[in-house]
Amino acid sequence: MILLSNSFREPMLEMYKFETNQLLEQLEQLIINSEKSNCYSQEAINEIFRIMHTIKGSSAMMLFNGISTLAHSIEDLFFYLRESKPENVDYIKLSDLVLSCTDFIKEELSKIERGIEPDGNPDESVNIIKAYLSELKGDGGSNAIHENIGEKNQKDADKKQKYFITHSLSDNSEKTPYKAVIYFEEGCEMENIRAFSVMHSLKNFVQDIKSEPEDIIENEESTQFIRENGFKMQFYSDRAYEEIENLLNETLFLKKLELEVVDKTDEANTNKKKPVIDLESDRPNMAEAIRPEKEKEKEQSNKSLLQNFISVNVNKLDKLMDLVGELVISEAMVTSNPDLKGLNLENFNKAASQLKKITGELQDIVMSIRMVPLSATFHKMNRVVRDMCKKLDKDVELEILGEATEVDKNIIENISDPLMHLIRNALDHGIETREERIKKGKSHKGKITLEARNEGGEVIIIVKDDGRGLNREKILQKALDHGLIQDTGREISDREIFSMIFLPGFSTKENVTEFSGRGVGMDVVSNNIEKIGGVVNVDSIVGEGTTMTIRIPLTLAIIDGMNIRVSNSTYTIPITSIKESFRVKEDELITDPDGNEMIMVRGDCYPIVRIHKLFNIKDSVSNINEGITIMVESEMNTVCLFADELLGEQQVVVKALPQYIKKVNGIAGCTLLGEGTISLILDIAALVKIK
Amino acid sequence: MASVLIVDDAAFMRTSLKLMLEKNGFTVVGEADNGATAVQKYLELNPNIVTMDITMPVLDGIEATKKIKEVDPKAKVIIVSAMGQESYVRDAVVAGAKNFIVKPFKEEHVLKVLNSL
Repeated sequence: MILLSNSFREPMLEMYKFETNQLLEQLEQLIINSEKSNCYSQEAINEIFRIMHTIKGSSAMMLFNGISTLAHSIEDLFFYLRESKPENVDYIKLSDLVLSCTDFIKEELSKIERGIEPDGNPDESVNIIKAYLSELKGDGGSNAIHENIGEKNQKDADKKQKYFITHSLSDNSEKTPYKAVIYFEEGCEMENIRAFSVMHSLKNFVQDIKSEPEDIIENEESTQFIRENGFKMQFYSDRAYEEIENLLNETLFLKKLELEVVDKTDEANTNKKKPVIDLESDRPNMAEAIRPEKEKEKEQSNKSLLQNFISVNVNKLDKLMDLVGELVISEAMVTSNPDLKGLNLENFNKAASQLKKITGELQDIVMSIRMVPLSATFHKMNRVVRDMCKKLDKDVELEILGEATEVDKNIIENISDPLMHLIRNALDHGIETREERIKKGKSHKGKITLEARNEGGEVIIIVKDDGRGLNREKILQKALDHGLIQDTGREISDREIFSMIFLPGFSTKENVTEFSGRGVGMDVVSNNIEKIGGVVNVDSIVGEGTTMTIRIPLTLAIIDGMNIRVSNSTYTIPITSIKESFRVKEDELITDPDGNEMIMVRGDCYPIVRIHKLFNIKDSVSNINEGITIMVESEMNTVCLFADELLGEQQVVVKALPQYIKKVNGIAGCTLLGEGTISLILDIAALVKIK
Repeated sequence: MASVLIVDDAAFMRTSLKLMLEKNGFTVVGEADNGATAVQKYLELNPNIVTMDITMPVLDGIEATKKIKEVDPKAKVIIVSAMGQESYVRDAVVAGAKNFIVKPFKEEHVLKVLNSL
């Protein structure tokens, strides 16, 4: 660590990673959009220049020199594009070049993420960029460039005159000629600008200033000259020696100042000639300037205007979420405490409802803190589509809808890979080749739609393509061949067949390509989505396309539940899956020859699942008209559950079943009720499939 | 200690500088991510010192420095600039910037420049 101590690097690392990743995403977006419109607008070039400038700067601060060097070379390239506006730019090549560089930086960032020093060598890419830059410079557009540069130099020269020669014809007979040499501290950087600043600060006090080197800004060697020989100036002034000396002594990073009066005839003046002052050791500290009390007061009031954003460690948010979960349980434990039963507690109930209101609000806020829009994840897919289109020589447009939809941060982290997989799959296997599409009378350009929207307590993400669709027979055959299903001769719905593509082992070598194969099947997609409590559905029409619908509950931690009782046990059903509840009369019950019970409701027939039978519970209500029947729905399937009675609605905190309990079909988790008893949460998605 | 307004379009840079300054007793009263916001915040917060990046969206650091100097000729603006931007730094000095810091900056340099004001 040369520049920075670890104490600096550590806290800054998160920020660095976050910001750099964000900038890279922005950059990719810019490039892909520019590529689409087949030109780089001036704003886009400017923006890319700025992004690279920023990445260069922060990477250099973090001592990630590889990234910094590469970013610098792209910055140079875009600086040239911005300033010279060459016309002969091959934008496709430019896009490829920049994208390959972002890939390099991403790779380095992922090393940083894994705690490894980013040691990638950017030289190759830097050289390619440099070669490309000189190719641009050398090509036909050069005339314009030279003109531009010439113009710029002219402008600079004008400025120089304006700045430096303020009183060129002034009468100097009354003034004293001075000579000064300034040496700067080593490693202070930009010595030429420091020299310029010195001259600039003198301009109101001195006349006819001459310097060596003369062209301090324009000449790149001036910095080196100043480093080696010091910065020499000659000027006239009517100010006293001390005054000039003090002025020059204010120069920052001043190592040594030599100031003398040139006039040899004036004895008095030569007396004033002072020995060289070495400033390194005894430079007064200017920081202790006295500040008026008033300013301090101002500082106080300024504190209240501090910025409105802070960044928070995600772990803290997770912890906060857990705590709110615990709070919701404790609230229920207090307000529905069994000790309170039968008491008339008007004031207590008032206070309790106030508590309930506040915990509810708290919960909403905590949830909203964790909500992130899907836009960044969605836009990442642009790059996926672009790269694949190039490789597969297909023409596909990605349409993004509802990117502003917000989901829990947890979901964002887990949804990216499955989405990428689905999109790759759609592009690779779904969308036909150009020729095939034209033959079928479709537009040669394929279309993939990526859409998100909120629906009830769920967020729905749809990946839709207008390709060839899934082949029902082929999938069925393949599933049978691989022994993934048994041929029972029963009717299988399209949906069931299509969902087989998510079975582990379904993807075979046959259709492995560079992109969508990779040896991992689509089962990874469904696994990842299940991990966040979601489900995937496939709909497909041959020749028209495939639609993959992902449904994910907005939040996993706390749900609104309906508690039901079966004998001594309590179960919880997520409110969102309940359609209605009713009491069934005995004569409405239909029993088929196998003994399966069903009920007709408004012309439709629904199977009845008796929970006491399902979980082997004794002493429960078995007479259908004494208990309660609850109609629940999941993924378009509906069943009626039969329980003893409804206990009431309550917010419950979902806890996973302990490890030592083997997975029970039909149970999604458990929760703690107010009385301290445990309620099992029914897995409606699994229950509707039991039938 | 002095109050500082940090202007930079990169949050990373702002935070780096902020950590350094706060560690050394400065009060960072505000941050701005472009020149226009910087001018607005300057009027609002009236800080003792402004650290100003050059390459920024909306309004660049040189223009922002000019505007700030227009409303308050006594404003103390320090340019924070990367290597290779010499001519911009010069323009900023002409526009009235008091001094400059070169990125990647070292803590001692930052302090030296800020303490000199």
